[in-house]
Amino acid sequence: MKQHLRRQSGVQKVEVSLLDGKVDVTPKEDGAINPAGLLKATYDSGVSVAELDMTARGKIVKDAAGGLVFQVAPNRAFALVSSDLSKGLETLAGSTTWVTIRGQLYKKPAGKKKPEASPPLKLLILEVPSKE
Amino acid sequence: MTIRNKFARVAVLGAFAIVGKAQIKHIEMRVEGMT
Repeated sequence: MKQHLRRQSGVQKVEVSLLDGKVDVTPKEDGAINPAGLLKATYDSGVSVAELDMTARGKIVKDAAGGLVFQVAPNRAFALVSSDLSKGLETLAGSTTWVTIRGQLYKKPAGKKKPEASPPLKLLILEVPSKE
Repeated sequence: MTIRNKFARVAVLGAFAIVGKAQIKHIEMRVEGMT
């Protein structure tokens, strides 16, 4: 699995802890890393992902439907799951403020062995460490 | 602009580019079935 993940674009380093089933991925600074691709690569290597968390720096914008989106690269953005924390960021939509967010992009559905057709990943904010 | 000023300008722009960069900093997965 480590080799499989390391071959993904934008991946600089992969650290695996067999004891607690934790996989740490350090992205390159080229912005090419794709969390959905990592998820698929992990499944393809025969391992089931229970949860995927991401820490990223970006800007809050609104999509055409008025939903909040976290833009982490010109070509990569994640819709935000509505929560108290996301509502607290609503005033920053369209502003020049940089926000660092730690959030959950994927959690294995209870009672299902494998996810169905992969839906777009949505970010559930767990923590907002900084606003600049 | 003197050479020295050009270097200073490049340094300032470079620093701004680094500070103002959006990026994914870290990804952590919890997996099951790993041997």
